[in-house]
Amino acid sequence: MSEGRSPLFIAVVVALYAFLIAPIVIIVLAAFNAGEYLRFPPEGFSIRWFVKFAQSGPFVRAFVFSLQLAAATTLISTVLGGMAAFYVVRHAGRFRDTLRLLVIAPLQLPAILTGIALLLFFYGTGIGTRGMRALLLGHTLVCLPYVFLTIATVLIGFDRSLEEAARSLGAGPLTTFRRVTLPLIKGGVISGALFAFITSFDQFPISLLLVSVGNTTLPLQLFDYLRFSFDPTAAAVSTVSVLMSVAIVLIIHRLVGLESIAWGGPR
Amino acid sequence: MWRRHLLIAPVVLFLAVLLVVPYVNMVRMSFLVKPPGERYLNVFTLDNYARVLRDGFYWRILANTVWYAVLTTALTLVLGYPLAYAIARAPNRRRPLLLMLLIAPLLVGVVIRAYGWLILLGRVGLVNELLRALGRQPVELMYNVTGMTIGLVHVFMPFMALSIAGALQNISPDVERAARSLGASPWKTFWRVTWPLSLPGVFAGMLLVFVLAVSSYVIPILLGGNNVLVIPMLVVQLLLDAFNWPVGSALAMVFFGLTAILLWGYVKLMNRALRWSLR
Repeated sequence: MSEGRSPLFIAVVVALYAFLIAPIVIIVLAAFNAGEYLRFPPEGFSIRWFVKFAQSGPFVRAFVFSLQLAAATTLISTVLGGMAAFYVVRHAGRFRDTLRLLVIAPLQLPAILTGIALLLFFYGTGIGTRGMRALLLGHTLVCLPYVFLTIATVLIGFDRSLEEAARSLGAGPLTTFRRVTLPLIKGGVISGALFAFITSFDQFPISLLLVSVGNTTLPLQLFDYLRFSFDPTAAAVSTVSVLMSVAIVLIIHRLVGLESIAWGGPR
Repeated sequence: MWRRHLLIAPVVLFLAVLLVVPYVNMVRMSFLVKPPGERYLNVFTLDNYARVLRDGFYWRILANTVWYAVLTTALTLVLGYPLAYAIARAPNRRRPLLLMLLIAPLLVGVVIRAYGWLILLGRVGLVNELLRALGRQPVELMYNVTGMTIGLVHVFMPFMALSIAGALQNISPDVERAARSLGASPWKTFWRVTWPLSLPGVFAGMLLVFVLAVSSYVIPILLGGNNVLVIPMLVVQLLLDAFNWPVGSALAMVFFGLTAILLWGYVKLMNRALRWSLR
């Protein structure tokens, strides 16, 4: 065990990874399987379920709506989270810990409870849940901590003498930010934005509470669909979503490295 | 340089309006009168709390909810530890792949992962099809406590593994090598050296998984079906189906209040355990 390479240990780890990725792999298999159900032996390769997805009005509408919602959420939470990260890392002084706790609070509080609190608040103030507004605010709230943590991580390791050099050579604060700071932290900003995007795209509990009639997100549409049918169209929809997640993991890994995200974050 | 504070002002405003005010409003709601046929009246009462605290049904569901979370925490610890160990002690070139396989499932939506389990373990799922082909009786793995537990463990195991791997990462392999060279068996090295040094990660992971599991809503409803009832499901029912905002809020307050007290006790206990184990 001390070297972690005994055959038994390796077998256990392989089995655990199989458990972790099994439900995801099985969805992709079901999506490309020609039959209604997955059976042994499989009934052959087909893309008919993807065609059915493309022809299904509700799924396509939900997909487009989720993309729009995630894009708007990403934009707002990246700007807000980025500003907060700059302030907390560089200027916060003795309020640093308090502010950090406040910004990551939406991550620590149970999402379902936050959703309930927002629902009561939106009804109480008359803002209501019509249109995309309530969803957008709720999603931004829960995506903000991810952007904040990712950008703060790159800012902590930032060498400020580069900015001082630019300033001493006559660049103004805005030029310095645009030409020196931003290019250097670009990876962190994009990673944070991608985290926000996928978090919003996959959000469930907050969406469930704040959704309005006529607008439904993809996870909610899938949830409704799965209550009544097991047709692999849902698997095709899920496969597209899984591919997006995998692409985002790969991009983040290329940009900032997963290790810095996994345990390099500011504590 | 007051202008630099403009950086934080929008975020503080945003969080004050959309996090602090809604939560305070929910606390207020739990003290308001609920007349039949109306949403609520702006009159103070303690009746909602009395109703929740006196009802044996709520206490039973509360005990179940906490029990499922404890079970999930224990299972993720047992299964997450070997994963964390494999990641922390992997050669540098292989570690990114192991981490990626751990983190990627986290970014796949929870509805999709639950759906994957239904395809695998549902009544007409792969496992039961296989059993039928072999002439065996199908087994009920979904829409009950078993299904929910499988789903919860699957969703939260990466959090536990990441937390423990972070702690293991900080232990120099030389410490283990020293124990081995002094004649300790691999098991003894693990229990006397590695395990105590990894305890901070273990305790942090347990805390995180318990909090997430006790408040989870999606997995119980999707994989527990009609055979499982947890407090978050009950709260949502009271608010959305029964439109009883005051009692729903009171139930949420009692539940999360008790959870917070439980966690406070846990943190106290664990700090003591840590001090003792590192002596």
